This record gives sequence, structure tokens and C-alpha cells, in this order.
Amino acid sequence: MTKSPVRLLVVDDEEDLELLIRQKFRRRIRKGEFDFVFAHNGQEALEKLAENPDIHLVLSDINMPVMDGLALLSNLENTNPDVQAVIVSAYGDMENIRTAMNRGAFDFVTKPINFDDLEITIEKTLNHIRALEAAQETRDRLVVLKRELDVAQQVQMSALPKDLPSSETHDVQALMIPAREVGGDFYDFFPLGDELIGLVIADVSGKGIPAALFTLMTRTLLKGTARDSPSPADCLSRVNDLLAEDNETCIFITLFYGVFDLRDGVFRYSNGGHNPPRLVRSDSQVEELPATQNLVLGIAPGHEYRNGEVRLAPGDALFLYTDGITEAQNSNDEEFGEERLDAKLASLGQVSTHEIVTTVVDAVRAFAGDAPQSDDITCVAMRFAAPLSAPTVGST
Amino acid sequence: MTNENTLSLQTERAERAVIVCPVGRVDGSNVGALESAIQEQLAAGEKTLVFDFAGLSYISSAGLRVLLVTARRIQAEGGKTLFCGLAEHIAHVFEISGFTNLLTICQSRSEALAAL
Repeated sequence: MTKSPVRLLVVDDEEDLELLIRQKFRRRIRKGEFDFVFAHNGQEALEKLAENPDIHLVLSDINMPVMDGLALLSNLENTNPDVQAVIVSAYGDMENIRTAMNRGAFDFVTKPINFDDLEITIEKTLNHIRALEAAQETRDRLVVLKRELDVAQQVQMSALPKDLPSSETHDVQALMIPAREVGGDFYDFFPLGDELIGLVIADVSGKGIPAALFTLMTRTLLKGTARDSPSPADCLSRVNDLLAEDNETCIFITLFYGVFDLRDGVFRYSNGGHNPPRLVRSDSQVEELPATQNLVLGIAPGHEYRNGEVRLAPGDALFLYTDGITEAQNSNDEEFGEERLDAKLASLGQVSTHEIVTTVVDAVRAFAGDAPQSDDITCVAMRFAAPLSAPTVGST
Repeated sequence: MTNENTLSLQTERAERAVIVCPVGRVDGSNVGALESAIQEQLAAGEKTLVFDFAGLSYISSAGLRVLLVTARRIQAEGGKTLFCGLAEHIAHVFEISGFTNLLTICQSRSEALAAL
């Protein structure tokens, strides 16, 4: 493939210069490397630039009729910001040279022109132009990526349940603050018939697009499996097997899934390597849900998950969270930790679930202060208000 | 340790293993450095790695993933990966995630080296 020549604009009111340039650069012109366009004053130069948008380098004299080189530079800044100018000035004319540089000239050469020096200056300027173009290209690509990331964020956010139910039996609230555009945490909440509700919180290893894809996949698999089996352990075993197939990169996900029975307050759950949720009793006692001694999902096919079970009394609340809460650090590298979390939960009393999640997250952020958020912060709270009354048949 | 992104990696040669000592934090911002240090050992044909975590203050899930990939790869080649020197809160992370069942964890470096 033959490259098209680099086109340069030479602006000088002396006709001789045109001949001289053609003579001195004849080899490079013949080889098709350079192609010169000539103008005799600033005004004409702007016209030539308009006709030849592929010109990015202008070599210009300063003293010319109609529009001089300094005026040309001022115009270029506005009309052709991507054009680089090299000024040709009389030796010792430092005042004009300084003005030209201040108006954005890239470099200057002095008269009488030393053509070897000019050639080096042209090459140097062209390299600068190429670097600028490459940077612009990278920037454009980043803009496209950023836009795709924004779309990914929307997709991910739209996958979260929006209408969290509040009824006389229970209410649920969740809060998630991703550390980056797309995060590695997710939560879910779905009814299973009229009497059961599924509650999920999960955290995938790593962040960004790969993590987001893995969370979406897990969420879909779990939701599908949950309809088939009332046993959380059974669901986790199945989802784990599916995720662990051909997972050579060992991306894994910590996932807690529980099914709450609105009739009797029994909460059956299985914990795949996730931080144990808290049970906040109505008298403000905070309990850690007993571990089910299970592994994160995605790396050990065939792993058998086990169920745990607790019973909630009316007024009791469940609090699910990811390690973005407990591992949030302040500027002294101290972690928020489980003790602070438990103390905060114990201090809340019978507040709404909305207040639970916002108060905890506010406390975490206040603790972290100016330290940057390094992990996604996610929590879900559910309060059991009253058992589902048995269908009343024939009563008044 | 004031800079949260600080991680320095030291490796020591023992008689029958290479000991990798990450000092500081391993998180998403520097997990690549840990990964390359391990790759370097594996590329050199090393089949026995001991990770001494005595100087490790924090490890994120991205870091755990790298440890897992390493242990798997070494196992596939008939080698051994051991972990020792876990501070209490690091051991807690290993326990919650269930990694204690997947990886071989020793109390101390001497115990790890004796187990080879």
C-alpha cells in the first residue's frame, strides 16, 4: 500500500521560496512523501487550508501583506485548532518569535533558512501531530467504551428489583452503591407463590464488565432454579454446578439465598461463602445467621450445599450485606468491621427497613470519610411485620 | 502502611519450595502484580509454592481468585501450594468463603515447609 504524501502549507510573500522549497525537498516530493501547497499571505493561507483539510502543518513567514503570520496564528487557533504552525522569522527577531509562540506556534526556524534544520523541524512537528492524532483516537475509543459501560450499568441496574414490596406482612428495602460504573454485587427479591419470598445477596470476585456478566448470569440461573425447588441448598447446588462448568478463570461468586415463609416466619437459607446476614430481633438483639459451612459458587462442581434455618417473630428483621460494608476503610486503614455493623444495627430499634439500609450506609460512609470507596456497598433489609393470615373462608 | 495500594512482593528460595510473601494489601488495583510474580515462578518450572501471608493486611476477592487459579494450576502439574501466616481477619475471609476447604493452610512457615 502506498501512503499518500504528507501535505504541507508554506506561507511567504517571497516567490523565490516556492522554488527553493521545491528544489531542496525534490527527493521527498518525488518519492511521494511530501506535497507542498503555497500561499502568499495569511488570508490566502486560510483559504488553502479550507480547500485542503488534510493539511496539518503550516510553515509561515511573519511579515506579509494583507494578513501577517501573527494574525494568521490567531486565526488558526480558532478555525483550525488541529493545525500546527512553524514560524519562519529573521534571526534575532525574538519579540515576534515570542509572540508567535504565545499564539500557539509549535516551533520556529530563522532566516536565512537552513534546510537541514527545517527538515528536522518538519519531521519533529509531524511526529507531534501524529502523537496528537493517536491521542485523539484513543480518546474517541474511550468515549465509545464509556458509553458502552453506561449502557452496561443501565442493564445491570435494571436487573435489580425495582418495586420492593411493603405489605401488612413484611417490607423490604435495598441499597447498592457500586464503586465503579458496573459492579460485582447484586441483590434480588422475588415472590414464590403467595406464601414464600426469595431473598438473595451476592458478590462476585473482581469488578467491571466480567464481574457484571457473571452476576447477571448467576441471577438468571438462580431465579430460574428457585421456581423449581423450595430448598435454597438445592438451588445453590444446581446453580453452582452450572457456573462451575468450564470456569477456567475461576471467577467465583459468594451468594446467600434464603426463602422466607410468610405464614410462620421460618427463614430457610443456604450460604455459599457469603458474609453471614444478621437477624435483628425486635428487642434489638443482633444475631449472626448460623453458617452452613459452604463454599463460594462457581469453582467446585458437585459441592453439596446445606440449608440453615431460623425463625423470625413479628418485628424481627433480616439484614443482608456485602463486604463493601464491613471492609470499608477509613484513612487510617481501619475497617468498618462487623462489630461496628452489629452495634449500629442494635441501636436502630423498630425503624423502617428504608431507615435501616440508609442509616447503615450513612454510618459506613461517615466512617470511611475521604478514603476512596474501593468496593461495592450493598445491603438489603427485610422486616417481618405479621404472619400471613390463613385464607378466611366464609367469615364475616 | 499508610498507602492503601501498597503491595510489595518478596520471594525467597527455600530448599524445596519458593516462598512468596506479599506485604501490604492485595486488591483489584494491584492483583496483576501478584499474578505476574506467580507466573514468573511457574514459568521457571517451580512446582511448589508457599504463600507466607504474615505481612498481608488485606486481600480482596480478586486476589483470592488468583490464589485459586494458582493452586489449581500447580495441582494439575502435580505440585503443591501451601498457605501460612494468615492474620486473624484474613483467616476469617478464608473461612467465610469456604476456601479453608479448598486450600491447604498451615499455622506457620516452619509447619508449611515441614509439610512438603
